[in-house]
Amino acid sequence: MIYSLNGVTKAYSTRQGLVRSLNGLTLNVHPGEHVALLGPSGAGKTTLFRLLNGTLRPTSGKLQFDGSDVGSMSGRELRAMRRRIGTIYQQHYLVPSLTVLQNALCGRLGRWSLVHTIRNALRPTRAETEQAMSNLELVGLADKYCARADELSGGQQQRLAIARVLMQSPDVFLADEPFASLDPALTESMASLLMGLVQEGKYTIVATLHDVEMALRYFPRIVALRDGCVVFDTTPDEVSREVLDALYAGNSTLKEHAPLGTDQWGKANQCEPSCQPSCAR
Amino acid sequence: MSPVANQAARADGGRYQHKETLLRPKQIGVGIALGVALIICWRAAEMRPAALIEPNTAASVWAFIRGLFPPDLSADFLRIVAAAAGQTIAIAIAGTTLSILIAVPLSVMATPTLWQRGVVLAGERAGAGTLLIGFMSRATRGLLGFLRAVPDLVWALLFVVAVGLGSLAGTLALAVSYSAVLGRVYADVFEDVDSRPLEALHALGATRTQIFLRAIWPQAAPSITAYTIYSFECCVRAASVLGFIGAGGIGYEINLSMRLFNYGQVLTLIVALIALVAITDIGSKFLRRRLHANAPAGSLAHQHLQNAKKPRLWLMPVGGVGNGTIVLISTIVITWSFYATGMFNAELIDSGLLTRMGRFAGQMFPPDLAPAFLSSLWLPLIQTIGISVMGTLIGVTIGAFLALPATSTLVLAQDDAAGKRSRVEQILRWLSYDLARFTLNLLRSIPELVWVLICIVGVGLGPFAGTLAIGLHTGGVLGKFYAETLEEAPAQPIEALRASGARPLQILLWGIWPQAKPMLLSYTVLRWETNLRISTILGLVGGGGLGQAIYNNVQLGFYSRIGTLIAITYIMVMMTNWLGDQLRGRRATA
Repeated sequence: MIYSLNGVTKAYSTRQGLVRSLNGLTLNVHPGEHVALLGPSGAGKTTLFRLLNGTLRPTSGKLQFDGSDVGSMSGRELRAMRRRIGTIYQQHYLVPSLTVLQNALCGRLGRWSLVHTIRNALRPTRAETEQAMSNLELVGLADKYCARADELSGGQQQRLAIARVLMQSPDVFLADEPFASLDPALTESMASLLMGLVQEGKYTIVATLHDVEMALRYFPRIVALRDGCVVFDTTPDEVSREVLDALYAGNSTLKEHAPLGTDQWGKANQCEPSCQPSCAR
Repeated sequence: MSPVANQAARADGGRYQHKETLLRPKQIGVGIALGVALIICWRAAEMRPAALIEPNTAASVWAFIRGLFPPDLSADFLRIVAAAAGQTIAIAIAGTTLSILIAVPLSVMATPTLWQRGVVLAGERAGAGTLLIGFMSRATRGLLGFLRAVPDLVWALLFVVAVGLGSLAGTLALAVSYSAVLGRVYADVFEDVDSRPLEALHALGATRTQIFLRAIWPQAAPSITAYTIYSFECCVRAASVLGFIGAGGIGYEINLSMRLFNYGQVLTLIVALIALVAITDIGSKFLRRRLHANAPAGSLAHQHLQNAKKPRLWLMPVGGVGNGTIVLISTIVITWSFYATGMFNAELIDSGLLTRMGRFAGQMFPPDLAPAFLSSLWLPLIQTIGISVMGTLIGVTIGAFLALPATSTLVLAQDDAAGKRSRVEQILRWLSYDLARFTLNLLRSIPELVWVLICIVGVGLGPFAGTLAIGLHTGGVLGKFYAETLEEAPAQPIEALRASGARPLQILLWGIWPQAKPMLLSYTVLRWETNLRISTILGLVGGGGLGQAIYNNVQLGFYSRIGTLIAITYIMVMMTNWLGDQLRGRRATA
């Protein structure tokens, strides 16, 4: 078992009092599994995602990664765990003032010693730069290597995020709305690129998706969240129209979740107070 | 993609080529030039780091620190402290009031959109009158620039000569210095208001006065109120050090006690000074929030302000407070401050004060331009620049060193991401954070001029004491700014790096630094410009540089030479501002 969650809750203290984002969630993920997370906004997808990559710790319940308890890890153990987990965030998570090449190299940080870090601050080594270039080639950004990350379009930034994760060569991939900021044609090519890289049975991937069609097409296991709990956990064949309607009921989310263009989507996602305590400031 | 990057990509056919060399010839050239400049500055500032570890230095500093305790808290002395603090406040209030009165007409005159260009002038025939008034507007702007470039302490010194020792000289110095600062800021605010209402009123056939009162002032009032309150804060700081050259207030007492080796009194006075500045800061922040004066035009708070009350022209920014009460209290306070600073002192004012001031100003013309005198100024000039550069570098070092433990996001990071920490580690982290913050506040809240006196105790009179003083104060200012900038770096890229297993140092180097770099560099350059002005005045209390020359010539009564020195100060400050703009402009795009 790569992930094992048992009765996990996560609560944030906000001005309105304690807000529960996850409510006794239980979930197991086996190595090599491909899992898509669905659910309306505010269901706890982002919180679960942050728990899985070790940025948050559960308020109660047990979260285990590869057999060890995440809640009791020290900073060093957490870093060792995060090194094995490659997180593909949405566009705002690149360092805007670094170049494309430098951003890609950031994926290696977890593997560098202190001395190597300082040496690389002056000029990265040839081997690593060449590795970064070949990964950029893979995502089709090789010719943009010396552009600044904030000069890229939304789709290019998404591809750069994937290149950065490839540099990390992780065992587990986590992707937060990997196709959110892409137009339909790019979505197709991106999806086949990402799913081609993450071969089933070899690498694990957990992705949050708002696009139900994409989830059903590319993922053999669908987990749906609502109000911080798992509503259903099944294969794509079992997911019917009725089930989906029930999942998103009382929510205009289906409409909202259609790609609105990068900025609107990014903002809409960030303003969920329950999932983003840092935005509430 | 930036043009440069584009070019580079095209040059090698879009293919990456690994460069093994770390430095290009141009970088080496710039490096050598910087090195030579640094050596000159080092020599000019008479840096003697060895003096810091000499046993003599340690002994005298220790004697000084021991002398500070116990602080003098006798009733007699506390009465003196209270009187001096009151005088400082009075100087600041009277100075600010006068500077507002001078600044308003000057700033209106200096507003380009009223006299030089823009919608108000559209369609006017360019006659001789228009040209003349346009020229006068430019000249006013130049005058403001000049009055601002000469440091307030130099003005104080001149007024001490012109009107004699005491708080009147300090008040007038602040009035001149801050009327220039306020005048420039007001003019900029008037210029930057939305021009559409101006255009509408102009189309209706409104006069310039009507346009100003009905279209410009209502838009500008909140920013102007906010800045005026802020400048009062600065005035309190300035007023507390003016006394060092005999212009009254707390600074005068500090200087006196220092020279009498009454260090216990010095500690009491410094604590009083810090308290005074801190109270003003809190009061000013409270007032600004109360008046919604921070609200930028167009914001919600500003709209709210507009709707809440019928716009009353003069007191509009005052919002919900009872206007009558405010007018009454301010009148009483201002009258008291004028009385306390001797503005109503018939003896002082009657006995030909204006004639004396006029004669004194006349004596500075024509400036002494004798080659022998001019060539004797090279050394103090370079010394002043050297002090400012080395002082800033010391400040950068101290600031950078203390900023890291003072950055809460690096040290405390209470969130889940840090992993489990032992109780001891948690306490150590809090301790190092609080200690760094405390040190920074201490360094920052003691003015440079007080630091000079303290450093003179340690390393003796001369430029090195001045350099250290600037370094210590700048360290506090920069350290706090650095820490806050590092804290405010956008969190999302940092979270991404952390999620890939990066350690804190790597997050700092690859995530925080690239995002904070432009701000840090630009503020450091800005601080250097400030330090150059300060290093000019350090000589007034024995810190070397141009100030020393100004002080000596004032003492000797060579007033035409003072004219020259002031002109040189002005030119130097202007050149540095230009250089600073260049440096910052390049940083902004880089």
